[in-house]
Amino acid sequence: MRRDTRRKVFLSVRHALLSLWLLISILPIYWMVTTAFKLPEQWYTWPPTWFPSPPTLENFYVTWMGYQMIPRPGVVLPTINLDPLLALGNSVVIAGSATLLSVAIGLLLAYGVSRYQIIPEKRMFNLLILRMMPPIVIAIPLVIWYSTLRFLDTWHGMIIIYTITTIPYAAWMTKSFIDEVPEEMEQAAQLLGASKLRAFFTIVVPLIRSGIVATCMFILILTWSEYLLALVMTAADAQTMPVQLSKFEGASEGRLYGLQSAMSIGVTIPLIVIGILIHKHLVRGFSFGMIRRQ
Amino acid sequence: MVQATPVRRKGGLLRWGALTPLVLALLFMIPVLLLQIYLTLHQWTAYLGPWWSAKFVGLEVFWEALTEERFLLALARSFIFAGLSTLLTLLLGFGLAYLLQKPFRGRGFYYMIFIIPMLTVPVVIGFTFQMLLYQDGPINQILSLFVPGDIRLSWLGDPTAAFASMVLIETWNWTPFVMIILLAGLVSMPKEPVEAAQVLGASRWQIFTQVTLPLLKPVILLAIILRFLEALAEFPKFWTITQGGPGTATETIPVYLYLTAWEYANVSHAAAMSYIVLLLVGTIIYFAIRTLLRQKQSLDVMFAKTEG
Repeated sequence: MRRDTRRKVFLSVRHALLSLWLLISILPIYWMVTTAFKLPEQWYTWPPTWFPSPPTLENFYVTWMGYQMIPRPGVVLPTINLDPLLALGNSVVIAGSATLLSVAIGLLLAYGVSRYQIIPEKRMFNLLILRMMPPIVIAIPLVIWYSTLRFLDTWHGMIIIYTITTIPYAAWMTKSFIDEVPEEMEQAAQLLGASKLRAFFTIVVPLIRSGIVATCMFILILTWSEYLLALVMTAADAQTMPVQLSKFEGASEGRLYGLQSAMSIGVTIPLIVIGILIHKHLVRGFSFGMIRRQ
Repeated sequence: MVQATPVRRKGGLLRWGALTPLVLALLFMIPVLLLQIYLTLHQWTAYLGPWWSAKFVGLEVFWEALTEERFLLALARSFIFAGLSTLLTLLLGFGLAYLLQKPFRGRGFYYMIFIIPMLTVPVVIGFTFQMLLYQDGPINQILSLFVPGDIRLSWLGDPTAAFASMVLIETWNWTPFVMIILLAGLVSMPKEPVEAAQVLGASRWQIFTQVTLPLLKPVILLAIILRFLEALAEFPKFWTITQGGPGTATETIPVYLYLTAWEYANVSHAAAMSYIVLLLVGTIIYFAIRTLLRQKQSLDVMFAKTEG
């Protein structure tokens, strides 16, 4: 009897605590999303407006299409080159290419290390240095090197640096998947005369397909949200979404809440969706494959 | 895992395919490291001429950086920021993982919502918290519900409040990271030691401190190391929320380095400071990697056993 009530108390306390954290987790996202649907007069009210009434798409038209549905003298676009669609395109190309390259390189490397020790696993660990070093520390010489090469503000420049900085994640994450495939299967294929590369592509790759997809998504999250390097290495042509967003905020001194929220939604919601889709594998990515299950 | 077969076959084509990109990447980055050293030894201001005609000054810039108060304060602030936020994420993340460790209805839902903060783009987090912390914003409104009176704190205007806000925002952002890592550890932990301790009549607290915690040690260390180093490197949220202000209250190393190089155009000074930070963080990373390598075996054993 007593144990039963104690259990009930524990269960409701647990739900209460978890719900509290749920609210804390969701509040900022809720605020961003609802603000994107608010008309300017509801941006700074006291008490704050929790529900946009009436909800409007105005902010989306202004930021993404560049015109107002209802002309309003109060809303003036900040005077910067605002071209979110260009930035979106840049982000897709840069993050997408860097992701594919990085996963391809990482996958081969991981396979070589896992099966043939082309470099000792201990040595591969040193790759993590690349990821643990704060990027600001190498940003200055990197920018000078890039300007010497004329790589600044170009797609290929950004793709190269993002590929290099994400290889450690890609290699360790794919390695954790490869390590789970029993080696006997490839050995059998090789006995039947398949080459090492062929055994890899016809046996290992199909088996870890979902793992490769998860790795791609994970690297995409990293490259898409990267800010510092994009800020110092792009100007107009290759500007990515996060940089564009921050320039927009800087030009308007962060006071055009509705507009910047409408833009933020486009930057961040796709990533949240991707992340939730691969939530089972996230822990693997963030721990460099050292932890495998959620 | 099965002991990898000791065949040291060279790997042929695969070896070349896998190592060439790595070598190319390394070659591509070598000039960066050389430039770093060059800049540290020369006095170069970006708008006064090309970098190769900079004046050689030896270790002068280096000493200047090492003895500059603002730099040392930024360094201290970075470590305090990283330490505090790591501690908070660790406590909260552990609590959440503990509550989520046993399966129950709705667990998956909680998990998916809880990971949202770490999936949000940092720049977006910056703006969103600016809106939330605005004087007439929802945070002050919510606080007014619990504290008598109308709370109208200017969170980002007061030095201490701004620094505390940054720590809390970092905590909000990365608690899920610690949570998923510790949860994975708790779920994969072998059950026998706990059961054995229960049979021997150990109290819950004893089991927790003497069985669970030691078993979780590698996972906890992993979380601490990764979190601390990433907090040291945190830049986007600082830059979008406070830009180091008010005054220099939230000026951490990444912010100060960025300001020096890109706003004050004092590239040599920034490069020298970067070099000092590089050596310092490099030392930490050296020990971090050694620790991780040592813990990796126990991690591998722990997570290999539960492999489906």
